Amino acid sequence: MNYALKERIAEVKGQLTSQDILVFEFDSLAGKKFACIYADGIVDKNLIGELIAKPLRAAREEDGAQEIKKLLAAPEVEDGKDIKGCIKSISDGNAALFIDGEEDFFIVGVKNPPGRAVAEPPTQIAVKGPREGFTEDIKVNLGLVRKRIKTKNLQIKTTTVGKQSETAVAICYIEGVCRKGLPEKIEKQIKSKEIDIVPDSSYISGFIARRPRSLFKRNATAEKPDIFCAKLCEGRVGIISDGSPIAITVPYTLTEDFQTAEDYYTVSYRATILRVLRLTAVLIGILLPAIYVCAQLFKIQLIPAKLLFKIASSVAGIPLSPSVEIFFALFVLEVLNEASIRMPKYVGLALSVVGALVLGDTAVKAGIISTPAVIIIAFSAICLYTVPDFVETSTTLRLVFLILAGSIGTFGVVLAAAFTMCYLVTEQSYGAPLLSPYAPLVAKDMRDALYKSNMGALNTRPKVMKTKNKVRLKENGR
Amino acid sequence: MDDKISVRQICFILFAYNAANKMLLYPSFAANAAGNALAFPVLFDVLLQAVIIWSVAFLSSRTDKSFFGLMEDTFGTVAAKIVYALFALYFLLSAIIPINEQQLLVHDSFYDTLPSLWIFLPFFIFAVYAGVKSLTNVGRCADLCLPIFIFCAFGFIAMGAAGANFNNLLPVLKQPFSKVAGLSLGSLYRFSESALLLIFMGHYKYKKGDAAKMTLSYIAGGLTVAAFMTIFYCVYGSLTPTRSFALSNISVFFPTISYVGRIDLFLLYAFDIVALFAAVLNVQAFVHCLCKAFGKNFRIIYSLAANVSLIAIMFAVNNNFIALQQAAAKWFWIPAAVFAYLIPLLAWVLRRKPR
Repeated sequence: MNYALKERIAEVKGQLTSQDILVFEFDSLAGKKFACIYADGIVDKNLIGELIAKPLRAAREEDGAQEIKKLLAAPEVEDGKDIKGCIKSISDGNAALFIDGEEDFFIVGVKNPPGRAVAEPPTQIAVKGPREGFTEDIKVNLGLVRKRIKTKNLQIKTTTVGKQSETAVAICYIEGVCRKGLPEKIEKQIKSKEIDIVPDSSYISGFIARRPRSLFKRNATAEKPDIFCAKLCEGRVGIISDGSPIAITVPYTLTEDFQTAEDYYTVSYRATILRVLRLTAVLIGILLPAIYVCAQLFKIQLIPAKLLFKIASSVAGIPLSPSVEIFFALFVLEVLNEASIRMPKYVGLALSVVGALVLGDTAVKAGIISTPAVIIIAFSAICLYTVPDFVETSTTLRLVFLILAGSIGTFGVVLAAAFTMCYLVTEQSYGAPLLSPYAPLVAKDMRDALYKSNMGALNTRPKVMKTKNKVRLKENGR
Repeated sequence: MDDKISVRQICFILFAYNAANKMLLYPSFAANAAGNALAFPVLFDVLLQAVIIWSVAFLSSRTDKSFFGLMEDTFGTVAAKIVYALFALYFLLSAIIPINEQQLLVHDSFYDTLPSLWIFLPFFIFAVYAGVKSLTNVGRCADLCLPIFIFCAFGFIAMGAAGANFNNLLPVLKQPFSKVAGLSLGSLYRFSESALLLIFMGHYKYKKGDAAKMTLSYIAGGLTVAAFMTIFYCVYGSLTPTRSFALSNISVFFPTISYVGRIDLFLLYAFDIVALFAAVLNVQAFVHCLCKAFGKNFRIIYSLAANVSLIAIMFAVNNNFIALQQAAAKWFWIPAAVFAYLIPLLAWVLRRKPR
């Protein structure tokens, strides 16, 4: 076989025809020829110089591949197997090192894809507690996890998903804590899906959900490594997808959305008050527009007399019926919400002023919608954002309740509540009932549900996780 | 489909659902029949039924088998299927009064103007959906309903007590015994939860003391109803029979209501969630019995059949509920006595292997 460098380069370039695949050819002082093939933009060229080219200047003409490998200063050097593997490694951001006249080649880890630095995530902000957030780089994210969980029991299984993207996905769990067989089951489910590209971890959520069309999600999300690690220690499995700053954890219970990291960094009384507040706010956010419509259309007694007079004077002359009026206000709110997210930052500011102040104020003054409708919709929106992880579901539920309130009335709202309860109690995420610890009632887990007990009382892992090792806090010497 | 239910959940059903079903129209009906002695028949019926509940629960301590299994062992599969089909019919019959009371409550208390009967039809969509669910679902719903029930029921009692005149109960023994006994017999069909417990047999794991827990839960539910009815009578006195729905009337004299509006209606709506689950429990039991008798493949058909029948009955008795209630008081005690009193006691003679 002929292993002339030019032909090896041509062979690789024949497969990787894109112009961003670069070839760096260099010689040693003794005249030995080498070629480094890499993808521009995702490797650190300085590392190629420092870890590959510089040490190889000492290579002698008679040195074989293994001698040359010993000269390399890079910590990640793998023997290349075949051209297919070589191409995959180059696409991943590694460099392939070819030696003139040698059959063997090496894959050198010099990956440095562009990415942002570790920063505080935009959601899951905490006043107290760690501020580091996940980034789009899986290696950085795994590093952040490893930084917090130093036990040898932390297991990270990596796999790739996506026919075109070949996105790396890491399944993290703690051996001996996590339920046996669960990581394997998740891995199997992820691998069973063939898709072109996995741009975000939400795709993985879709893959592992038992009912992907459900309104209620089946996994929790974490943007902060401290939350992610705490969940691993509870016996959950964490999934980190390359290119996504949002990790997902399963099994999931609905209670998780109402907990924040800060609950664990503050006194338990305060945490309990905040959890009750969040639950109340979400219930108000979902039901308030519906109840307002019901009160106006079907059961006027629901409104106290004095308030009723105020509302009556506000709605007098409004051309829309209460339900259409609330729908209209809700529609405007959703449009403003959507536009303010998508608009550039500076235009967004102007949009807030125009939308909230000018449009809202003018609409009320023009008598198109009433002041109570604006107040109710605004308050409902604020209430729902007290639990941002649940907002996708809660806004949809608000709409469903509103439609039922406008068509069937109060009974429709009550019936929808019963229906939702009946639906939710049988739903589960990897064996954990979605509504636990409330239904089924798990007394021990209630210590960290709506009521947040002090740290000493949270001495066992959640029972619904069915962990092997149940104790998480032992007090020695007492 | 998993059909496991825990003893705790059964206790919640015996407490909350048992009471919720009897707090709609029954208080004014009882007041009409027995005046200020309206709570005595409740206490008598509760105690009588509690004995049967204890008996069925205690029977569970002697066998892991379901009632169907016991029937099968003693009389063979065909006989067991026939008995379960009869139980299914009984549960369908038992569903008529609660669902019609629910419909009347909705028409009376959920709307300012009387809506069409069609407005209640979405309930049956819920009933079909809930009907196909397993006993596990029934139990978990009870877990959720218990705190709602406690909050609402005791809220009503507390608000009602604020406007109650306890002199209305005097003299305590004013009513003749025949009226009290008549109401007791006429209410027997309302106190028939032991039939449900018989169906739950074999689907829960009995532990020592569970019979006492279930019996006490049932008695607690009964006492809550008795307390609620007594307070209701204290609020309205001899006018009580004219106030159809205790839930929407008991707290109107609570002082805060005049300042903040009808907050008690929010309690009523929350309470109604529990009442809805209590009303569909009989449909769920109907489907469960038919599944045992004829297989699980037609679960949705059974649920649909039950609900179509109930819709037909609802339209048939429209505006004639009082006649239905009087007929129920006169005749429904017979099937109740057979299925909720006699058969649970006879279950002891069925052949069973020791645990």
